[in-house]
Amino acid sequence: MKKAIKLLLFTSLLMLFVLVATACDQQDEEEIVVYSSRNERFVQPLLDKFTEETGINVRALHEADALQLREEAGNVQADIFISNDIGALEYLRMEDLLASFDGEGVETIDAQYRADDNSWIALSARSRGFIYNKDMITEEEMPKTMEDLMDPQFEGQFAITRGGNGGMIGNVSALRNEWGDERTAEWIEAIKENAAGIYNGHGDIRQAVGAGEHPFGLVNNYYYHQQLEEPTNNNVGFIYPDQAEGEMGVIANAAGVGLVNGGPNEEDANAFIEWLLLPENQLAFVGESLEIPINPDLDPPYEHAVRFTDLKVQQMPLKDLGIYFEDTKELIEQSGLDLELR
Amino acid sequence: MSNHRHHKHQSNYDKHAKAGEHSSPAILRFLRKKWRDSWHGNPPGNVLLLFGLSTGLIMSVPIIYVIWQSLFAGVDRWQRLLDDRIPQLLFDTFLLAFAVTVCAVVIGVILAWVVVRTDIPGRKWWQWLLALPLVIPPYVGAMTYIIVFGPSGWARDFWRDTPWLVNVLGDYPINVYSFWGVFFVLTMFTYPYVFLIASASLRKMNRNFEEIARSQGMNTRQIFWKVNLPFLRPAIGAGAILIALYVLSDFGVISMMRYVTFTAAIYFQRASFDIASASILSLVLILLTVVILWIEVKTRKKSKYYQTSNTFKEPDVLSLGKWKIPTLMFVGVIFFVSVVLPIIVLVYWSIIGIGMGALDNRFFGFAWNSLRVSLFASLLCMVLAMPIVYLKSRYPSVISSSIDKLSYAGYALPGVIVALGIIFIFNNHIPTLYNTFYMVAIALVIRFLPQAMQAGEASLSLVSPRIDEAARSLGQPPWKVMFKVILPSILPGVLAGGALVFVSSIKELPATLMLRPPGFDTLAVRVYIEANESLYYLAAPSALLIILVSVIPLRYLLKKY
Repeated sequence: MKKAIKLLLFTSLLMLFVLVATACDQQDEEEIVVYSSRNERFVQPLLDKFTEETGINVRALHEADALQLREEAGNVQADIFISNDIGALEYLRMEDLLASFDGEGVETIDAQYRADDNSWIALSARSRGFIYNKDMITEEEMPKTMEDLMDPQFEGQFAITRGGNGGMIGNVSALRNEWGDERTAEWIEAIKENAAGIYNGHGDIRQAVGAGEHPFGLVNNYYYHQQLEEPTNNNVGFIYPDQAEGEMGVIANAAGVGLVNGGPNEEDANAFIEWLLLPENQLAFVGESLEIPINPDLDPPYEHAVRFTDLKVQQMPLKDLGIYFEDTKELIEQSGLDLELR
Repeated sequence: MSNHRHHKHQSNYDKHAKAGEHSSPAILRFLRKKWRDSWHGNPPGNVLLLFGLSTGLIMSVPIIYVIWQSLFAGVDRWQRLLDDRIPQLLFDTFLLAFAVTVCAVVIGVILAWVVVRTDIPGRKWWQWLLALPLVIPPYVGAMTYIIVFGPSGWARDFWRDTPWLVNVLGDYPINVYSFWGVFFVLTMFTYPYVFLIASASLRKMNRNFEEIARSQGMNTRQIFWKVNLPFLRPAIGAGAILIALYVLSDFGVISMMRYVTFTAAIYFQRASFDIASASILSLVLILLTVVILWIEVKTRKKSKYYQTSNTFKEPDVLSLGKWKIPTLMFVGVIFFVSVVLPIIVLVYWSIIGIGMGALDNRFFGFAWNSLRVSLFASLLCMVLAMPIVYLKSRYPSVISSSIDKLSYAGYALPGVIVALGIIFIFNNHIPTLYNTFYMVAIALVIRFLPQAMQAGEASLSLVSPRIDEAARSLGQPPWKVMFKVILPSILPGVLAGGALVFVSSIKELPATLMLRPPGFDTLAVRVYIEANESLYYLAAPSALLIILVSVIPLRYLLKKY
């Protein structure tokens, strides 16, 4: 009996210990809470660098959705939102979920890549295009425009992502701006019909194309860079579509950072953005993604990347993606492309 | 003991004698009598009752909240889901649950029969070796099978480098991301439920029946079908229900191998913040679970097979003869596929991972998170389980048994639904605890409290109620009796229950994944994330650690059956 009581005492002590332990690390140090919708592999090293240099702890939630900020509007948890879709950031700004930023370093980024009140700032750019396997298809045989994907001659030739993928949503939003909803819906129906594979993310597509499972796939340009860096299956090429005279130009999007309105650690959050705007950290933001830094003074980490100034880019200001953010998903789903894999 | 209390006690007895007070109006008297009757004349103290009631409430509120939400999701949404998604999901979910259940039952029963009733070499060893898949969480199993048979897995490489295979059979034919992949993995990691239950009832089977059958000229096969199998029906039923419920609730295997059942659909709807649709799908899944539980209750009532105990004879061991080698091969293959291969894969990648520095501070941070949230949940479960179990055992009534049943709600239902309800409640009504460690811990308590309850109940049934009565007669209120007198004598059982909860919590994936606050990843969550990114060298050490911890309560689990 005595032994049992001792055990009981021991367990309650342990419980106390656990309680104290959890209470401790919530109060002791300065910290910020970062929600990120980018791949953890690109973001975590950046956050670690921040903690190392400033001593401010970062609690990160990766693969977070912009809508989580909306759900938590009455009970704000995050200080910073890192997104790979400008549409999401501008949408959050329009919903008053972001706060204006007036710290140093903003001027390194062209005004078209920031919100009017700098509540979000884009740091790295990407464009849509087709990665192709050079063993299976030649550059001449490849489609040259987004519209070409609707052509029955490419049926069964390529891979796309599910409709809910951020890159795909941005792509469709841009087409809505260019073509209107009706034509865009036709495009979605057609590519769903023509696609030989529908994948969860672009990483799966580049690997599948590299391994020769499909002649080509619709991805963001930096996935092409990533595949070139692979030790095997790297005989791939890339088409920047819609470059000819009279065509719309390549569809662009960017990744950036937003300052959350009413976040719990306002001061440190501002410090984070200022830190991030230092040129070296702008490069760290691009990181392993091999995207192209928006700051024109910085060299792309991937040397052979085509610079945006050398490309014909779609006219639409990136901000306008925010207007389409909410109902693009609905259009995609209604046109028969599932948001999630089934 | 104070004089005052003594007096009150006295008057209590008086009340009994005169059946009611004179001062209160008739309606109150009537209610009071009803109240007493419902407790069979022995109501528990207020403290104890309040404690039990609030626990029961906490256990069931998230689920009630989900149901409530789904009822207000709007006709349009219901219409759209009913027309399109729900029939497809019902078909896919049912097909998978049915196929896995049938196959796992067949494998489990065959193995149980072979191990208990035949002279297979190493019988004693097989008895627990074949239960080992229980310690491997199915999502870890799924990961190992993706590593081996996936589109860039070992088997693919072997196939590609083996010319005659390519020439004769063409390209690598296996696609793990399919129904068959999910089916195979779930079967291999759930059959032990049937194996354990069937072994136990085969061991208890009386030899007399078989001897009679044999004297009537039946051979071994006929005896198996006509005598053994009917006796096994309750065991098979219980095992089948466990497996069907597991398949309905599994999230890890299904999403990693890219098959979509209700749990995955609910998770994805929630991930894209279509909460209304997620609630609707949850309601359908809740109904599906209830149907299965109802089937269980029905079949349990109907099938009673009595065995006379006074002439019990141990069942005899049959000689395998020429079947020895094939049987040994069958058992060996199952063991290899469900235990050896996954462990080899994990050890292989763990060694690579450790070489690449996977055991860094981050890893230990995740392990620490897993440890403290599971420890906290298991301690909470031990404390909360006591009053419920005590009420049910010592003060049986409609109320105490409903509290008991309410507590099973989160246990029977999939983790995604519990998590969904908890997000609603905490975000809207308890904002201070939202997105904290405690939210995850409470979810784990709701998921696993019954494990602690079952363990406590088993111990409590061995303690005579006379002890309680003695303590009560000395004037202690029921809750004090429970903590001071009963708890110390059933502590080993309670601790065993806590250990079970601890291990289940470490392994738990969907609720932790949905509820984890920023910066609070656990080992299970990391396995899931890294495996989805194909970073196996990071996933394997975490997975191996989870398995090592899961071995702890295995002895207890084996004894239970």
